[in-house]
Amino acid sequence: MSETPNYDNMYDAIVVGAGLAGSTAALTMARDGLDVIMIERGPSPGTKNVFGGVLYTPRIRELTDFEDAPKERYVAKKTYSMLSEEGDETSMSIAPSTWREEPHNDSWMVLRRDFDEWFAEQAVDAGATLITETTVTDLIEDNGEIVGVETDRPDGELRAPVVVLAEGANSLVSEAADLKDRDDRDNVAVSVKEVRKYDREKIEDRFHLDGDAGLAAHYFGDGACGDAVGGGFLYTNKRTVSIGVVYSIEDAARTDQTPDEVLEEFKQHPAVAPLVRGGRMVEYSAHAIPEGGPDSMPELVHDGAVIVGDAAGLVLNSGIHLEGTNMAVESGYHAGRAVADALAQGRTDAAALASYETDLRDSYVVENLDHYGWFMDTAAEEKEFLFDDLPRALGEAGDAYFKMDNTPKDEHVSEAKSRILDATGGWLGAAKKAWKFRKMLS
Amino acid sequence: MSIKTPSVPDTPEVERETIEDRLYTVKYSDSGESHLDVKVEGICEEKCTNYECVNACPADVWRAEEGGVPTIAYENCLECGTCRFACPHGNVEWEYPENGNGVSYKFG
Repeated sequence: MSETPNYDNMYDAIVVGAGLAGSTAALTMARDGLDVIMIERGPSPGTKNVFGGVLYTPRIRELTDFEDAPKERYVAKKTYSMLSEEGDETSMSIAPSTWREEPHNDSWMVLRRDFDEWFAEQAVDAGATLITETTVTDLIEDNGEIVGVETDRPDGELRAPVVVLAEGANSLVSEAADLKDRDDRDNVAVSVKEVRKYDREKIEDRFHLDGDAGLAAHYFGDGACGDAVGGGFLYTNKRTVSIGVVYSIEDAARTDQTPDEVLEEFKQHPAVAPLVRGGRMVEYSAHAIPEGGPDSMPELVHDGAVIVGDAAGLVLNSGIHLEGTNMAVESGYHAGRAVADALAQGRTDAAALASYETDLRDSYVVENLDHYGWFMDTAAEEKEFLFDDLPRALGEAGDAYFKMDNTPKDEHVSEAKSRILDATGGWLGAAKKAWKFRKMLS
Repeated sequence: MSIKTPSVPDTPEVERETIEDRLYTVKYSDSGESHLDVKVEGICEEKCTNYECVNACPADVWRAEEGGVPTIAYENCLECGTCRFACPHGNVEWEYPENGNGVSYKFG
């Protein structure tokens, strides 16, 4: 273990964590001429990071030569499937022709180890300093203002005018310094994932893919994640497939099936099993995801510090849209600009940094969180209907509608309708449910 | 989950990996000491009956003991933080392993 050189006040800003939000902030500030140091606890950026699998890249493409970035496949097709635990599947598939053209709707499967390392290098190339295998353990405060960080290195104090907290979902530093409360467990999801390796040809044949085209598949219902609010996912990479489940820690804590067992059940579902059979698991991983929406967003700006990315709770789950990487990048970008502006005025107080919050609120990030903030709570309220009754009713309705027997089709149609109406509680119930979930598609 | 998905004819057999199989794929460097603990042992013994840390942990780190404090196999930890959120008594003591030790993902 080497002594840390004395970097005190050599830097304009310290960034805690070299994930997507941290590296974007560092890159933005370094490009603005600031001296920035990024502190990453992993052996290299990305080694501690996990995500489902899709990187959304509009801002990254503006900031970097994105063509050089290590990418897997672009999202050429999305599917949404309802799975019942009896084995029913009802799916919708979306593959607009424009997604096949560059920039491929800015939606790419990546592997975080490769991507985060490359992305942090972009910040380093712009002049930022990166230190790894170093964990920030606390913030240093002076008269209520944050003036630096404590690390687990010998003589590991490091002072700088501003600290950007990009420490991720398990944000121990921000919490220890009372900059945010620990999220309630019904606002945080646990995700487990396995990466399975296949021949490239096998992946392309199995998923009908060609070249760099890829599939992003989302699954809902009891057949996907058991008796819980959540879902399953499958993403195709070049030579691997990522498959996993995400569901509320509230549900994980209450049921005695562990997350890895829920994932095993998902893999056995008749809609999923043919997609993941064979191959070899090359990595298992887990991560917490803040899904509390706008109400559980902490104060983003403090005297001498800003909070970005997962640490700020910037994840969107609207049932249809599952985003976070774009929001991490966008928050890092606005934070970086606000820090540069504040330092240009020679200030680091919350009021001087406030443009970060204003810009983020004016951006799609908080707009979207506000617009879809109702979804997770409503999904929890309507758990029985959404995850249990509806997937089964859709399966049964499909069975009835297409039934091959010696009765005329109008009997099949009315049988199919009644299966759905039973699940929704009649026409009135269906109308109420439609009203309740109307904003999902708007 | 009340019932398990029944096997449907023509559904391929997919290998069931155990938690041991899963954790075997993960690269770790051992910090030599636990970064996890319980804050107050008495809380687990007196207030906890349902071991929610054990249910929620995706890495078999938390293991139920008869009427007491769970044992903690910190070496398995994937550093997700789930146990910290899951414990209804806020009794999980959580630090990151020192100097970047612990899990190191190859894919992420």
